[in-house]
Amino acid sequence: MIDKKTPIIQVKNLYKIYRVGETRVHALDGVDFTVYRGEFCAIVGPSGSGKSTLLNMLAGLEKPTKGEIVIDKIHIENMTENQLVEFRRKRVGFIFQSYNLLQTLNAVENVALPLSFRGVPKKKRNEIAVKYLKLVGLEKQMKHMANAMSGGQQQRVGIARALAVNPKIIFADEPTGNLDSKTTLEILKLMQQVVREQNQTLVMVTHDNNLASYADRQFRIVDGRIVKIIEREEAAKQAEGD
Amino acid sequence: MKFLDLLAMSVSNLKRRKLRTFLTVLGVIIGTASVVIMVSLGIGLNSLMIEQYASYGDMTMVTVYSNSYYGGGGGETDESTFLTDEKLAEFQRIDHVTGVSPVLNADAVLKQGAYYCSTNVVGVSRDYLEKIPLGQGELAAADDNELKFYYGNRVSMWFSNEKTGAGYWDNEEVPPVDFMGKPMFVVFDTNAYWQSRWSDSENPVKPPKKYMIPCGGVVEGSFDDYNNYSYDIYTDVELLKNQLKMVFKKNPIPGQPTNSKGKPYSYFVYNQAMVFVDDMENVLEVQQQLTDMGYQANSQMEWIEQAQQTTGMVQLVLGGIGAVSLFVAAIGIANTMMMSIYERTKEIGVIKVLGCDMRNIRNMFLLESGFIGFMGGVAGLLISYAVGYAMNHFLSIGQQMMGVAGDISRIPLWLAGGAIVFAVLVGMAAGFFPSLRAMHLSPLAAIRNE
Repeated sequence: MIDKKTPIIQVKNLYKIYRVGETRVHALDGVDFTVYRGEFCAIVGPSGSGKSTLLNMLAGLEKPTKGEIVIDKIHIENMTENQLVEFRRKRVGFIFQSYNLLQTLNAVENVALPLSFRGVPKKKRNEIAVKYLKLVGLEKQMKHMANAMSGGQQQRVGIARALAVNPKIIFADEPTGNLDSKTTLEILKLMQQVVREQNQTLVMVTHDNNLASYADRQFRIVDGRIVKIIEREEAAKQAEGD
Repeated sequence: MKFLDLLAMSVSNLKRRKLRTFLTVLGVIIGTASVVIMVSLGIGLNSLMIEQYASYGDMTMVTVYSNSYYGGGGGETDESTFLTDEKLAEFQRIDHVTGVSPVLNADAVLKQGAYYCSTNVVGVSRDYLEKIPLGQGELAAADDNELKFYYGNRVSMWFSNEKTGAGYWDNEEVPPVDFMGKPMFVVFDTNAYWQSRWSDSENPVKPPKKYMIPCGGVVEGSFDDYNNYSYDIYTDVELLKNQLKMVFKKNPIPGQPTNSKGKPYSYFVYNQAMVFVDDMENVLEVQQQLTDMGYQANSQMEWIEQAQQTTGMVQLVLGGIGAVSLFVAAIGIANTMMMSIYERTKEIGVIKVLGCDMRNIRNMFLLESGFIGFMGGVAGLLISYAVGYAMNHFLSIGQQMMGVAGDISRIPLWLAGGAIVFAVLVGMAAGFFPSLRAMHLSPLAAIRNE
């Protein structure tokens, strides 16, 4: 359920300028948008368009050159590294393209890992981990080590890990980039479904228009600017029209 | 993050690379073991030396002589430095002094059967007598007013046969003198004794009175053992003084000083005083005070002090050799940690993206390197104990080097505990900069896709 009244991400006039020798590269060139609670957004653009840079800044991994980022009513653009880590620990879930599970841990331990950073006792965090692993359909792989699972399974663990901390917002960076098309579809549908059920906000970065169409809203980004925002209904119409 | 979770994570990371962890730990084991063994040898050497000195006599005892009077009378005398009961009471008041004993030497001739000896009887306080380890007999009760002698276990070597003149020094046979079993006759007025013996028949001198003095005990050990009390005959000084007064009455007692008119003093002047100090540490201080009071003071500690300086140097050199190998081990730890951080760059980035606190990341690596130090420290200590045991029991190096039986390698509790703590600290110090590096790694590395 999308709560149009509660903005969870507000981005105002965001710039990111890299210096490469004498020339300046505008990775982001004045970006404004708002994401509401419960929304599944996709940031879509070709490679080099600045979509990853945008995601990194939203997650507090990179600092903007100029502009404001307000997440859950908190300005993050001027936070120190320590504050950013704390911000991520308390409010953000992250799904990676290459899954990034810890190879030494099994599925349950991987999902429980971010909870351990919060100081949740082992018994409790394993209970939570088991719950979310069931949710993503991995009842039988609970004790499997990360490297003993297929890509699709690993990404399911990744999704469970992002959900387990009950974040305000989940970021996904090309979550299906390393998967075949069948698994890609499964994972996308899973994310879509889980986000709805859990009433979570998800921001996904992708270069694939087709994948982006699963989102409630798409932000088309080219050369560091948002060129088009497409609502789900429009997207459906477009698809029909084609 | 909870400490136990941190620890579990560090340990699982160490387990992941068993061979590398083992090799790094091996370095620490060698380093710790060499430090501990070297230091234990230094301690052993020092203790052996002290034990050697201790076997020569009580180390907390200071012997005091008067500058103006020692032994036989005559010559310049300065009454102010006479060792009298009054002065001894003054010594007693010095800090750290637990007891003072006078030493009064009295000439005596001892006779048993055909054997005799001309010697000194040493009168000392009851405190002193109590320190003498008796093998046979026991110290008389404090209220026992009978004069008793306590013989050193090698005293019989002073005796010789009155008829043949042969003694221990002539034929190396121990004169068959039985202190405990047979009565001993003692002559205190030795001048009269010799006069009567060498007087010719024309001017006979009446032999002095002989007293039968019972034996209170004999110092422990056989004739071949020796200690500080082996060669003298001891008795209670108060009873000895009474005996001398009784024997000589108003006449001057031999060995006691006389005033300028040749008259004896109304009090006894002691040959020496023994001052007992509460602890070895304070002996030199007390000795210095006694010297300042105008007396000559000697103690075993003077010698030990010098010897300790030497062994201190040896200890330092040995410890230094050990420390070098521990230092090399520390470099090994730092190297391993750096490698580990390079390998885990991505992983560190991931946990940083997932919200692991930067301090936790640092602590995780510090714990890891500290744990390497801990394992190396414990294993190194065990090896040190094993090597020390082997040196003590199979090589008997102590016997060869110092000529004293005893353990050459000694690992006191503080060394054992200190070694482990030190190994952990070395590990953590070596891991400190790598851990800072890990802490400041960019989380962006995690989301870079390769």
